[in-house]
Amino acid sequence: MAEIKQEPMSQKKLEYIRRERTKEMRLQLISFAMMIFLTFIAFGLVALDFDEAFVTPVVLGLAFLQVILQFFYFMHMKDKGHEFIKLMMLVGMFFAISFCVTFVYIVWIGAPI
Amino acid sequence: MASTAEKKGFWSVIWEYLTTVDHKKIAILYLIAGGIFFLMGGIEAMLIRLQLAIPNNDFLSAGLFNEVLTMHGTTMIFLAAMPLLFAFMNATVPLQIGARDVAFPFLNSLGVWLFIFGGIFLNLSWVMGGAPDAGWTSYASLAIDSPGHGIDFYAIGLQITGFGTLISGINFITTIITMRAPGMTYMRMPLMTWTTLVASVLIVFAFPPLTIGIFLLMFDRMFGSSFFLVETGGNTIIWEHLFWIFGHPEVYILILPAFGIFSEIFSTFSRKRLFGYSAMVFATVLIGFFGFMVWAHHMFTVGLGPTANAIFAIATMAIAVPTGIKIFNWIATVWGGSIEFTTPMLYALAFIPSFVMGGVTGVMQAAAPADYQYHDSYFIVAHFHYVIVGGVVFGLLAGLHYYWPLMFATMLNETLGKISFALFVTGFHVTFLIQHFLGLWGMPRRVFTFLDGQGYNTANLVSTIGAFMMALAVIILLVNIVMTVAQNKRVARDPWGDGRTLEWSLPLPVPYYNFAQTPLIRGLDAYWIEKKENNGQMLPAESLDDFHMPNNSILPFIISAGLFIAGFGALYLASGREWAIEAVSDLPQHPWAIWVLITGLLITFISMGIRSWKDDLGYYVTKEEVLNDLEEQERGGK
Repeated sequence: MAEIKQEPMSQKKLEYIRRERTKEMRLQLISFAMMIFLTFIAFGLVALDFDEAFVTPVVLGLAFLQVILQFFYFMHMKDKGHEFIKLMMLVGMFFAISFCVTFVYIVWIGAPI
Repeated sequence: MASTAEKKGFWSVIWEYLTTVDHKKIAILYLIAGGIFFLMGGIEAMLIRLQLAIPNNDFLSAGLFNEVLTMHGTTMIFLAAMPLLFAFMNATVPLQIGARDVAFPFLNSLGVWLFIFGGIFLNLSWVMGGAPDAGWTSYASLAIDSPGHGIDFYAIGLQITGFGTLISGINFITTIITMRAPGMTYMRMPLMTWTTLVASVLIVFAFPPLTIGIFLLMFDRMFGSSFFLVETGGNTIIWEHLFWIFGHPEVYILILPAFGIFSEIFSTFSRKRLFGYSAMVFATVLIGFFGFMVWAHHMFTVGLGPTANAIFAIATMAIAVPTGIKIFNWIATVWGGSIEFTTPMLYALAFIPSFVMGGVTGVMQAAAPADYQYHDSYFIVAHFHYVIVGGVVFGLLAGLHYYWPLMFATMLNETLGKISFALFVTGFHVTFLIQHFLGLWGMPRRVFTFLDGQGYNTANLVSTIGAFMMALAVIILLVNIVMTVAQNKRVARDPWGDGRTLEWSLPLPVPYYNFAQTPLIRGLDAYWIEKKENNGQMLPAESLDDFHMPNNSILPFIISAGLFIAGFGALYLASGREWAIEAVSDLPQHPWAIWVLITGLLITFISMGIRSWKDDLGYYVTKEEVLNDLEEQERGGK
């Protein structure tokens, strides 16, 4: 069995990668803190017994924000070289949502429209 | 390693093909297996036409007719058309983009073996108590009621092949996105590669709904759930939606690669650049996108309501626009070209009017109110055979002649090819043109016979005669193949003389590593550019050096065999159980079924574990070996 041929990394390159990773880690921590904070707000709104008509849309909006943060910062959608993946995910979501809407309307509710 | 020069024994060739991860050999596996299933589907078609040749015929019984009809549709779509397209995708795409193999060679091999085992499983139903008989769509209300294990064979067989297709789809997307040679930008990719990419994206989005639908059907039939059982709160319409969410993109999965093959053939044999290349790419992507928004046009008469019907009707008609763009571009490609009437070109030219006829009837049916008249009549049968035979099968036959030298380094006989072309195209129109009228006169589809004196006699006889002309054409094609293989007259590089794309720049037979040096791509029709502006040799993009290749592996075969065995366990699990549906609860019990299921799954998961935990790093092709090969090619002459 052959070994994989690898070249050792140069010092410059190593430093560059280290720097990039530190930056990445900082971003990860900040977005993680933000997400905890957003979750805390959502829980807080429910716990403080605000009006339901106010709480529902706000919580949904926060959830949407969370999804975007998740995709971009934790699942690397913001990184370079992810353009095609981004396109595929968006198209896939578009299809999935349209399928769900149809199922809700014409199968679950069931009344002809 | 895989030295091509030495003479090999029969068993070592078999072993080579069982373990191969080389995309060119996998293409041959797809071609052989798909070809055999194509012949089986063809025989079933002949049986159908024999039964319908005269009124009140009793050549096939009603039940057997349903089985033959179901197996004809299922075999042709899942086991013939798609694998044959995969054969040409595998044979060409890595060569067209300048790659040494696909991105995941192991998965490529897994895909082909899952397909072969699934296909065998489905067809074993003939000798193991009756084939599925609920139509290729297998609507749940029929499928749940169907007695015996026929539908179980359908569900498990298609599930296994479906996994294979999904895996291959992911593989091709990754290959095309990540493994293009330097200079091969997206807008320089040949149309065959583009259509493969879009069809693979469709596979990735369309097959999961089918997988889910079939899982629900399997659970209902084999494990006592009730997704589709109306009496316990299920809903059979869910199956129809899931099936057609898959089923409509499926027809674009079939036709798009055929479009790709035709695009290559048109520009090669007109000796012209493809007219409107960017519009062609745009139209391909648009067809793929629209293909997902139209599934309910198969269900206009289900009762979705006028608004829903109208939305899907308009979306369906919109697909005619990008398809029309393509048709005009092909005509403009041929227009003013220096045309060479080879067999593939003849198929391509015959494809345009045939496919347009199928498309026009498609738009007719897209008008929802009119569809209430056409629904479940022979008009529908005529329509989809016009698009699938006139589009996909013509594409496959054209591709077979066109890519044969690339795959086998020999040429199919042109005279025999033209004879079989003439017979096939004539037979095709004789068979299916008249079926439009049969439908308009009121003959329903899927009937096993018809009464005398309804005015259907002559038309049905004509249709049967046409079908036998097509059968004769296929027999001549087989003779042609056998003759070509027996004579084994080798051809050299660029056998058509007008090759435009990268794959024709390779020596024939193509070395197992494809490219000694990764080529540099300088534009669309890369090889043509080098022929016109250079010395006809591709420029290398890297210096000659050792390069890495994957090892062969038997594991894909074992993984697939495990699922095949597990399939039998699942199939017989519900036999005679009191919790099972009525269709199988009267059958004798099989207490061993659960153990077969567990054994099969264990085989699969243990082999997957071996693959995951035991490193297989592949090997290096040395510079010396490549230099040797290059020298030999030089000496062997071009």
